[in-house]
Amino acid sequence: MNCVKRLLLAWELPAGRRIPRQVAPGRDLPWLPGSSGVQYFWPALVRNHSQLTPLGRGDKEKGREPQGGALVSFDDLFEWACEGDRNKAAFSRAVEFFCQRDIRRRGHVEFIYAALRKMPEYGVERDLEVYNKILDVFPKEVFVPHNYIQRMFNHYPKQQECGVQVLEQMENYGIMPDKQTKFLLLQIFGAKSHPVRKYQRIMYWFPKFKHVNPYPVPAELPRDPVDLARLSLQRIAADLSAKVTVYQMPLTDISEAGKEITQPHIVGIQSPDQQELLARHSPARPVFVEGPFPLWLKKTCVYYYVLRGQPLLPEEKEEAIDLERNFYYPMHLDVDLDRDIWDEEEFDVDEVEEGPLFAMCMAGAGDQATLTKWILGLQQTNPVLSQTPVVFHLTPGPRELQEASDLESGEEEIPQSCRAEREL
Amino acid sequence: MLRLIRTRLSASRWRQCWAKALAAPHFRLTSPSYYITHQKGGYSSQAHEESTSFVKTLFNGQLAPDNVFPFPTVLSGDQTQFLQALVDPCTRFFEEVNDSAENEKLECIEDATLAGLKEMGAFGLQVAEDLGGVGLTNTQYARMVEVVGGHDLGVGISLGAHQSIGFKGILLFGTQSQKEKYLPKLASGETIAAFCLTEPSSGSDAASIKTLAKLSECGKFYMLNGGKIWISNGGTAEIFTVFAKTPVKEPTGEVKDKISAFIVERAFGGVTSGPPEKKMGIKCSNTAEVHFDNVKVPTENLLGELGSGFMVAMNILNNGRFGMASALAGTMRSVIIKAVDHAANRKQFGDTISNYGAIQEKVARMAMLHYVTESMAYVVSGNMDMKVPDYKLEAAISKIFASEAAWQVTDECIQILGGMGYMQEAGVEKVLRDLRIFRIFEGTNDILRLFVALTGIEYAGAQLKNLRTTVMNPSGKTETILKEIGMRAKRKVGIPTGLSLEGIVHPGLDSSAYLVTRAIDLFGEAVESLLLKYGEKVIGEQFHLKRIADAVIDIYAMAVVLSRASRSLSLGQPTAEHEKLLCQTWSHEAFERVRQNLQAVKSAAWNQSFANMKLISNAVVQNKGILAAHPLGF
Repeated sequence: MNCVKRLLLAWELPAGRRIPRQVAPGRDLPWLPGSSGVQYFWPALVRNHSQLTPLGRGDKEKGREPQGGALVSFDDLFEWACEGDRNKAAFSRAVEFFCQRDIRRRGHVEFIYAALRKMPEYGVERDLEVYNKILDVFPKEVFVPHNYIQRMFNHYPKQQECGVQVLEQMENYGIMPDKQTKFLLLQIFGAKSHPVRKYQRIMYWFPKFKHVNPYPVPAELPRDPVDLARLSLQRIAADLSAKVTVYQMPLTDISEAGKEITQPHIVGIQSPDQQELLARHSPARPVFVEGPFPLWLKKTCVYYYVLRGQPLLPEEKEEAIDLERNFYYPMHLDVDLDRDIWDEEEFDVDEVEEGPLFAMCMAGAGDQATLTKWILGLQQTNPVLSQTPVVFHLTPGPRELQEASDLESGEEEIPQSCRAEREL
Repeated sequence: MLRLIRTRLSASRWRQCWAKALAAPHFRLTSPSYYITHQKGGYSSQAHEESTSFVKTLFNGQLAPDNVFPFPTVLSGDQTQFLQALVDPCTRFFEEVNDSAENEKLECIEDATLAGLKEMGAFGLQVAEDLGGVGLTNTQYARMVEVVGGHDLGVGISLGAHQSIGFKGILLFGTQSQKEKYLPKLASGETIAAFCLTEPSSGSDAASIKTLAKLSECGKFYMLNGGKIWISNGGTAEIFTVFAKTPVKEPTGEVKDKISAFIVERAFGGVTSGPPEKKMGIKCSNTAEVHFDNVKVPTENLLGELGSGFMVAMNILNNGRFGMASALAGTMRSVIIKAVDHAANRKQFGDTISNYGAIQEKVARMAMLHYVTESMAYVVSGNMDMKVPDYKLEAAISKIFASEAAWQVTDECIQILGGMGYMQEAGVEKVLRDLRIFRIFEGTNDILRLFVALTGIEYAGAQLKNLRTTVMNPSGKTETILKEIGMRAKRKVGIPTGLSLEGIVHPGLDSSAYLVTRAIDLFGEAVESLLLKYGEKVIGEQFHLKRIADAVIDIYAMAVVLSRASRSLSLGQPTAEHEKLLCQTWSHEAFERVRQNLQAVKSAAWNQSFANMKLISNAVVQNKGILAAHPLGF
């Protein structure tokens, strides 16, 4: 693929200035007064047109020197620098290499765009230091307007736009710029330039929004499925007094017969309110296990199951506490300080239209056998459950989605094991 | 025989006294001194209104001194004179005619005594004069009951069950014709009344009342069926206030079982009572089961409205409680006389035991407890006479405090008497047995503590809600909001919030007054933090509620004592300096207790302790006995 691209690049060069035009449309670079045509157009750094050596990965001797006259895209610059590991060090190496290679830093705008694109791949998309390093690629002071005409018109729009893009990407990843960033931007573009204004806007809004989400998903999700389930369940439960119980730890063992036994994890959550609701549930009416339902935590999707009762009949819904119950002291206090004035009084997260919710769980497998273990565990704390019929309403679940995501990337972690899903 | 003659003789002498007293000119209250304070059943009906009750406002961290300071003086000169004229013969009657030991032995009140009591009008102390009663105000009633309590609690219970709760329903809710029909006979003691609420399955739970009253097809009477237990005067009464479930049609059209109150005569037929129960104390009072078997109760004997029985019962109970504190104050007074007499005369190691610190502490404590109880009793009765709308918490507190104080005082009296006290001869063990019931009946103290704590917290919650509404719409109320914020800020830092009793309390008691205001600050903060922490769920936190109730009881006790001692100092009464000592010592002790209790409400260590206690209790209950292994292994 890269070969083809390079070929195309080489092929187009003599034909005209199509690609370079996009790079710096119609403007001569002032710090290169004598520059002409081919020489300043990057990425077509061509010293020797005839030596079009593709940079194979196995070609070590030559591969160490990518600037050796070869036509090289910036993507390859990164490829070259990574040496197997795609990390911050490799990324920094690529940037440093670019800076040292050419005092004029030709093609820095394209390089910066490429670098921005490559950041997630190298896992540095949330690294402020790296962003500063990228900004450092810009030549200093040359884009600072010197007179009012320059200031009035968009001075070096391509560069300014590129600078804004860097900040934009920082913003998208929620990275707050620091003093160093400001210093660099002032040095590169001067005060009141677009990037500096962008910087100012970020600095205005970011601190305001920093804690706007009272329930942030942690930046790093736990790798352990049990921990992940615990975290997710606590997020859904919305009740601080809800208790998480690990009914079964994940376990893989080889049985005596040599068969592999996998024990999926089962993590459940139940709040005292829900326990109370379940205790009040009539054993004559069945309860349902339903699921799986998806829950997205940033890029990760997890699945959970709920235990719920039948939708409440209207006459059952209202169980008003009899005010005339106790001759001596009140049995019910009319102080609901949990709810604010504008909160809706009627709505209760546990007693919803589709039936009261009694408990939730996440399991390593979505088959009935696993979920039955969960119900058995729940019976320990909810005796009424042992007399109540339990109906399993399980949908095939996330199989297709899972397989598709598996093909795409291995990044997404889905504790729902495929094997168990196929058993269904 | 000798005794009989003596009784006769003293009775006739007493009779002369009494006749003289009644002949003296006196004034009676024109309006009845009893009235209904809350018309609605349930507890939350009043929470949203601002209250003037001292105790209720405490829960809000505020001081509403009006009902306590200055010490209520409600009796006019004439009323006082009349009361004095009654108290002396009554005291003499109990000293000379009534024989409590004999009553106990017979397990009923002697006929001569009963006749004397009837003659005295003791069966209708609060019934209006034109209906044949004595027409006493609450304060006057309290004073009379004090005399009874000082001599014979068994007789006191009989009288109390008759008029304090037995026919209180007719006084409070009866129609004119009901009053005219029943009260004269009841007031003269010709018929005895009883209050029938408790059932085998229902103590304080109104929902589990099984007695049923059904309207007959002709619509003229109710068929009453069911059984009541532990009814004081159950075997002797002719008139019963009975609570039974009745089907009531709601405005929604649905028929619901609600409680209604009925006046039932034994003469209606079908009313039977069991044999007198064998009790620990108060043996001369009759306690029995009462059964109703197809009793035809005419519709005009419905007390209050159909389905309003809950409210009737609550009002009777709240209204009937105030007499207990004064009765027990009387008991304590007479018990202390015995203890002090012994302490002053018993010599050990060449010195009377009253000179030893161990005994001195006991005597001082007894005197303080009595002083507090007496103050409470008359503040509450005074409040009721002042027509203070909300006194039920104060009444409940006085009942709790008095019953426990009397137990302690009598217990310590027996301790001072030593071996002597344990003997029946000394007559103190009987008092101890008699007054044990006061911690149990008409709402056990534990339940009343919940009542005090929860009612107060409900009020605080409602006020907090009001405050929140104010904060949401602050137009023109900035001052209120700033005041509330300032108060909370000061409380958090631990500096006084500016509550002050200055000018209300005698300057000599400023230190005690400071302790009261300090305690109120601490209390307000503790209640608020509890409320914010648990919200509605606080209802289940009985470990905390108990401590809140204990704290508020102590604060109220401090306040009433302060008020009384302050009045004595201001009037320059001869005992003022002694009362000052009582007040200061009590305030110091009570404040320390308040602080401890409130700390326990907040501290994590105590919460752990509460959780542990739950576990211990569960384990012992599950094991049906002690779980720990015996130290010897078997």
